[in-house]
Amino acid sequence: MIFNRKKAAQAVWFTGCILLFVAPVVIMFIKSVSFGWSWPEWRPDQFSLRAWEVMFRDPALSRSLYVTVAVGVSVVLINFLIAVPSAYALSRFSFKGKGVVEALLMMPILIPVLAIAMGMHLTMIRLGLTDRITGVILIHLLPTLPYAVRVLKAGFDRLSFDWEEQSAVLGAGRWTTFWTVVVPLIIPSLRSTAVLVFVISLSQYVLTAIIGGGKVLTLPMIYYPYFNSADEAVVAGFSVLFALLPIAFLIVWEAVIKGYLFVIRKP
Amino acid sequence: MSSSKLTSLKPYFYLLPSLLVVFFFVGYGLYSAAKSSVAVEEGQPFYYHYQQLFQEGVFLNALAVSIWVAFISTAVSLVIGIWMTRHLVRLFKQDHWKFIAWFPMLIPHFVAAYIVFLLFAPSGWFSSVAFQSGWLENMSQFPLLVNDPYYIGVILTYIWKEIPFVILMLLPVYQEMDMRYEDVSRTLGGNGWTVFKTVEFPWVWPVSLEVFLILFVFVLGAFEVPALLGVTYPKMIPVLAYDWFYQAAWVNRPLAHAMMVFLSAVSLAAAFFILTFAQRWRSRWAMRREEA
Repeated sequence: MIFNRKKAAQAVWFTGCILLFVAPVVIMFIKSVSFGWSWPEWRPDQFSLRAWEVMFRDPALSRSLYVTVAVGVSVVLINFLIAVPSAYALSRFSFKGKGVVEALLMMPILIPVLAIAMGMHLTMIRLGLTDRITGVILIHLLPTLPYAVRVLKAGFDRLSFDWEEQSAVLGAGRWTTFWTVVVPLIIPSLRSTAVLVFVISLSQYVLTAIIGGGKVLTLPMIYYPYFNSADEAVVAGFSVLFALLPIAFLIVWEAVIKGYLFVIRKP
Repeated sequence: MSSSKLTSLKPYFYLLPSLLVVFFFVGYGLYSAAKSSVAVEEGQPFYYHYQQLFQEGVFLNALAVSIWVAFISTAVSLVIGIWMTRHLVRLFKQDHWKFIAWFPMLIPHFVAAYIVFLLFAPSGWFSSVAFQSGWLENMSQFPLLVNDPYYIGVILTYIWKEIPFVILMLLPVYQEMDMRYEDVSRTLGGNGWTVFKTVEFPWVWPVSLEVFLILFVFVLGAFEVPALLGVTYPKMIPVLAYDWFYQAAWVNRPLAHAMMVFLSAVSLAAAFFILTFAQRWRSRWAMRREEA
């Protein structure tokens, strides 16, 4: 009896979670492949890939797809480059001023990025970083870095120091230990960081608009004017594209990691 | 330099790149914004633009609606997030469910805004369902939930996006909690609420404060969602700042800077108080547990 009640509760909660978190996205997807679905029909009666064809025939979209991925991947790589050492230091060393450093690294998520982007605007113009992809990549570090450091630090915290010691005892150098012991063990945190950073970069409109000056056209730049367009199926398709990109990114990421592990496992 | 001294400098060396990024953007960016906000003409006091700002009804209304949206969406996400986490952790032995609950985190905020529009607009899906069920005869009878002066659509978007974040932050807290205290409380006749108050609250409270802070300042300063689902009057602060920043001939730029600097100061002050308070709470509870 009690067992059954628990089963029922599990089913209710599971369904509830699906309805709340996943179903809205499914409706959006259905909208993008529907044909002439409008009020007051609660479900479409015709399906078509027309919206997707319209989208991909637009050369502006494919160009900005490329720009978006280039920005996102660069932001992820730069984050790794600077967040991994920082997270390692915060997790493995105790040193003077650690609390202050941690607070400083939290700053970009405590202060509105819009204030910073507006303040940086003239300086970035003077440095020649506006209106180009470099400036946009740099400014995207701002909302991503604090999360990268946080997630990676938690990853290092969970990783016992013993593994590194054992590797050292067995005569591996520091560099070898890092690439063959620490990196493989920290892969789950690297994955979370990569996806989180990619999604945050994908979600930036106002930073890209101010620093990119309307010249760096990432997908959000062309999404906003689309939002109130009459062709609802196309807007829905465009929105689905944003959900597909992180998934595609994750698949490529997994392939790269498999390749990496294959290479380092070779004697 | 001796090698021990080198070793002691190592963490700073590792942290240098991140700190440089933060100093360059946050330090310098905020400094330039502040400088532009006090750039005044002859004869005006340096706080001239701030004075102007607080005499501006547009700004005061923007501030009010921003605080309203940030407070309601953060509080509701936090309550629902905690409630869901404590039930899901108890119900399922394994935490595979978390991938479903985290799903909205993959969706950018402006796409979440579109989903809310798709579902809650007068021409949206819920309105269609209501029509099919015979609850309304035409679109205009459906309550205005998007692009409405109370920012309901914006609030719904944030709630949908932030519940997963709350679950993400609280799940480790619940997984590390010593659930034997729950047995103690239950044996002594405590109900669900008593268990929450006496067993979970001391652990959940400091993390909740931190999550509240992060979400509150984020919503206060974010442009993306209110730009799509807001109204022309009142605007939320970031949308108003963007408008002023790009207004003809840049006449309102100093005001835009002043507004965002003010918002940054408020966010920082809130962060300072909340984090200090959370820290105190943590150490007080750690002490009590040791005494016991």
